[in-house]
Amino acid sequence: MPELAAAPELAAVPAPATAPIMRADGITLRFGGVTALSDVSFEIGASEIHAIIGPNGAGKSCTLNCMNGFSLPQQGRLFFREQDITGLPPHRIARLGVGRTFQGLQLFAGLSVVDNLLTGRHMHMKTGALQGFVYRGWAHAEELRERRRVEEIIDFLEIKNIRHKLVGSLSYGLRKRVDLGRALAMDPRVLLMDEPMAGMNLEEKEDMVRFVIDIREALDIPVVIVEHDMHVVMDIADRITVLDWGHVIARGGPQAIKGDPAVIKAYLGAEVRR
Amino acid sequence: MTLPGGVHAETYQQDRALIRTRWQWLWFAGFVAVLLLLPFIGIGKAVGIATVIGITLIAVLGLQLTSGCAGQINMGQSAFMGVGAYAAGALAANLHWSFLLTIPIGGISAAVFGAVFGLAALRIKGFYLALTTIAAQFIFTFAMLKLPKEWFGQSEGLRLDPAALGSFAFNTDNRIYYLVLAVAALMTYGAWGLMRSRTGRAFIAVRDNDNAAEVIGINVFYYKTLAFFIGAFYAGIAGALWAYYVRYVQADQFTLWLSVWYLGMLIVGGMGSILGAIIGAVVIRLLQELITVAGPQVADVLPALGGQFVFAAMNMLLGGLIIVFVIFEPRGLVHRWNIVKESYRIWPFPH
Repeated sequence: MPELAAAPELAAVPAPATAPIMRADGITLRFGGVTALSDVSFEIGASEIHAIIGPNGAGKSCTLNCMNGFSLPQQGRLFFREQDITGLPPHRIARLGVGRTFQGLQLFAGLSVVDNLLTGRHMHMKTGALQGFVYRGWAHAEELRERRRVEEIIDFLEIKNIRHKLVGSLSYGLRKRVDLGRALAMDPRVLLMDEPMAGMNLEEKEDMVRFVIDIREALDIPVVIVEHDMHVVMDIADRITVLDWGHVIARGGPQAIKGDPAVIKAYLGAEVRR
Repeated sequence: MTLPGGVHAETYQQDRALIRTRWQWLWFAGFVAVLLLLPFIGIGKAVGIATVIGITLIAVLGLQLTSGCAGQINMGQSAFMGVGAYAAGALAANLHWSFLLTIPIGGISAAVFGAVFGLAALRIKGFYLALTTIAAQFIFTFAMLKLPKEWFGQSEGLRLDPAALGSFAFNTDNRIYYLVLAVAALMTYGAWGLMRSRTGRAFIAVRDNDNAAEVIGINVFYYKTLAFFIGAFYAGIAGALWAYYVRYVQADQFTLWLSVWYLGMLIVGGMGSILGAIIGAVVIRLLQELITVAGPQVADVLPALGGQFVFAAMNMLLGGLIIVFVIFEPRGLVHRWNIVKESYRIWPFPH
């Protein structure tokens, strides 16, 4: 694992220098009597790796669900490039450029790797049902054009040898990679990743970390990552937002978070002292 | 490119092609030739059976798109077929429109009727959706028997003149066979095109994981409705052809029983595969024909059993076959066929 001490330390800077890509403004999310998020605000700056951490049940996944429209907060607004996206259905938010990977496996098991990635191209394609029915001509040309982009992603993720396999037959680590590929195929302007390292062995984690860093470098997009593995988070995150019981209890760079007494109390403690 | 290790595509175009080797082209050409020459080489009722298979195939293809590919259970396919038959039949019988118009209109009418039930799919899934589509069946029968007699003939049904192009009428078994063959070929080709383009992938995405589909920008509501629209369109085309084939349309021809059979064909053939729909429709239809032929003969040989008993027993046999498939080969004959294909392609090496 390469040392990432050189990562920009943003702890001292309250807001990123450029305009934020995504912004949450005081979102509160309740399920019946349970308040999952209360008055959560944060900003995702251009091309930063932003980690959201917190103990189990802190509201990390709820935050992601609000960001891509799965959950509608009762209070507060969400902005994508200063456009209010609160209340938009998930597919509309996706079309604006919010890509997301999942905690579990949420692939289309009945499709091959190539087709899963092509499905990720859906919003960039235009063929309708009638053109599909005719197939020759327009639909065929579009298939070939989009295939080229998909192959670039397959190259990037080093999954060339499995491109025609049904994803249902792949190992967990590879499926996670295909999941990432499908999100990348959307050409997102921001990538949300829900626990990309969960359930992976060391080697698979190292690969995934490398991909996350490469994505940020190559595509120059911010990556929002919800993760439990503190080593990974401290190594790659530029900024960290810490949640506990639905409240933001700290935010800042990895160094600041490591030393933050509220964070240590809530969660990190033993892990960082090592 | 054909190498000792197998067939390797060199372009994305080759990689996407349905027919990839010379042998496949030969087999395909042979198959088409047999279909075209069937009236000349056909024995007995071959042409009639093939016509019914063709019509069934179109309806089953539609059901495959709705239920097998997009995952929206539909128990009303035969009602959708009936809507197509009545729409085409009424236009032909009352207004004497050309079949070139009435068949597509039959398809569209069924599609709209089907899409209305597709709207329910936004809220409900599985069993509940199945129940809603069964309602389509009853609404259809009720409506056809109660709507004004000048429209759909109520219990007397509709009688049609044969489909005609100028002075050429599709009034013999052979002629209607070619009409059905042409339409079935077109619809099959279309289904294959749909399934390897954007729409088909979106269907499978909605079936396999509708949350993930939504997150990558697929409008799940739209595609569920579209799945019903297209599936019912196929049923409508099949119904319209049926109307011109038997030249008589009546609500009793489109029962829930038939819808269940269509689902059975999907299960035997293989859910989610166009080839599976073809295999299922052909195999089950042939078995049904076999029963109608063999049933009376068995009854002749063993008169003690009685014709009624033999007929019932044969149907039980066919129903049992579906149960056996659900248990032992839930992915259908097409899966078995793929395994055979894989193993002979890599023969003699097992890997």
